[in-house]
Amino acid sequence: MTRNACLALLGLLALSACSEVVAPPDTQYGSNPVLPAPTQYLIPPMRVPLMTGWGAGEAPTVPAGLRIQAFATGFMHPRTVYTLPNGDVLVVESNGPKAPIYRPKDYIAGLVKGRAGAGAPGGNRIMLLRDVDGDGKPDLRTTFLDHLNSPYGVVLVGDQLYVANTDAILSFRYIPGETRITEPGVVLTDLPAAPINHHWTKSLTASPDGSRLYVGVGSNSNVTENGIAVEQDRAAVWEVDRATGFKRILASGLRNPTGLAFEPTTGKLWAIVNERDEIGPDLVPDYLTSVREGAFYGWPYSYFGNHVDVRAQPQRPDLVAQAIAPDYALSSHVAPLGLVFSQAARLGENYRDGVFIGEHGSWDRNPLNGYKVVYVPFRDGRPSGPPQNVVTGFLGPDGKTVRGRPVGVALDHTGALLIADDVGNTVWRASMPGAATAGPATQ
Amino acid sequence: MTPSTRLFHAPLVASGATLLIAALVTDVLYWRTALTQWENFSIWLITGGLLLAAVAALALLLDLALRRAGRMHWLDFALLTVAALLSVLNAFIHSRDGYTAVVPQGLALSAIVAVLLLAAGWRGWSLCAVRLRSGGTQA
Repeated sequence: MTRNACLALLGLLALSACSEVVAPPDTQYGSNPVLPAPTQYLIPPMRVPLMTGWGAGEAPTVPAGLRIQAFATGFMHPRTVYTLPNGDVLVVESNGPKAPIYRPKDYIAGLVKGRAGAGAPGGNRIMLLRDVDGDGKPDLRTTFLDHLNSPYGVVLVGDQLYVANTDAILSFRYIPGETRITEPGVVLTDLPAAPINHHWTKSLTASPDGSRLYVGVGSNSNVTENGIAVEQDRAAVWEVDRATGFKRILASGLRNPTGLAFEPTTGKLWAIVNERDEIGPDLVPDYLTSVREGAFYGWPYSYFGNHVDVRAQPQRPDLVAQAIAPDYALSSHVAPLGLVFSQAARLGENYRDGVFIGEHGSWDRNPLNGYKVVYVPFRDGRPSGPPQNVVTGFLGPDGKTVRGRPVGVALDHTGALLIADDVGNTVWRASMPGAATAGPATQ
Repeated sequence: MTPSTRLFHAPLVASGATLLIAALVTDVLYWRTALTQWENFSIWLITGGLLLAAVAALALLLDLALRRAGRMHWLDFALLTVAALLSVLNAFIHSRDGYTAVVPQGLALSAIVAVLLLAAGWRGWSLCAVRLRSGGTQA
């Protein structure tokens, strides 16, 4: 009798692990994505692409009318690109602190990361690139800031350069034209980090008037599997007063807000957020959203409003009732990491008013999704259509190997699009031949 | 010379089973408290129990190869094999994130495994009889 019950249970669980139909990503674009019922798996759907890097002469693909080439290569896990007012380009080389092994699964996850090329050590520094003659190739390359601690976000306000290390925002005095900062930074404020520090990247931007900084702090788990106590102050966008370092949570329930930017026509703050894994290939869509003051976006208790996730216990129906849906789904497991508005781009009429998003891609879906840079058109300060592919070809033609993974995106001073690639260890530059340029960088 | 009355595999089966039974206790504690530490305890106990089960299987082969093993106890063999297979399944369930790693399927499997193992323990943790040097067997 007991054995019959066992066999019945075995059969039930085996069924739930079978491969299933995957929805086309375009059913999950925009404000009303199709959300299938969640599944609890024995082995969640996965495809771990094999990291191969770029062969000689290989480059990502861009639409007709644009051109792409390597701006610079040979980096140590470049994550963020940022353009200074004089045209110098900063490249943040970084990777996460060593992840603790809490469960046997964490050991397996480490092996998966290694295969996919995500485990390479970061430089823990910021490199500076200067293209003096304006030919799209840097003529000067220096180590701008060294000995950082898993840095990610960077923003310049006046003569202060802010760097978001994984555990604090540091400020440095920046003199226009300088190529190296040796003075130690001053801590503006600490940020949530150890223990664990599962989502370690701290995205950073400044308000248009420069008075406040905004920091994205990711959750300390996929969905509270490390306990709710270590989620204190996390999965939130923080607002930091630049003069005093005083900070407060602007919005919460944002699982991993990896990119922040102000929409230039409305002055509103937008974020890209990486949603949770392991409940299906089409759950939960990652998203782009305006960040509303005081709002709760659901994590860990629910997603896209009131879709409850039973994995977070004890449940909080009071918070689920308050949870609001984000503005715009990007489809599931694309892992958006880079965000820049396009208004200053010189890439033609197609990209006049919208946002570029670097989709790093993940291994939590089969077939893979993301691994490209997309453009979401805006009208009147809101998304107005489905995402369009801009930079593709990071996956091999078979969809099983990965040549590179896009991370941070930025516009350079000529209006070209820069893309950090942390598997190819390259910064790519997509430009429009014939576009008027702003001229070479000056000192 | 006194005949050997001890088999290599039996104490290993008992040790591994102890860890798997303990996982039921930590599962119940997680179910009642939602404290993640108990969930982590459970998956490590199941992993440790399965590793010892693998060593016990090798020890049984050694007992057979050295002709120390007598008549097989097929009921005990069935109880322990089913318990080991369900525990492999349970390890995957316990590797989920959050509540569903334990409740309800993980907890149910841990309970079934504990019952099977306690039955096997009551019967003596042994998959076969000891072959005596005189040529007879001892239960």
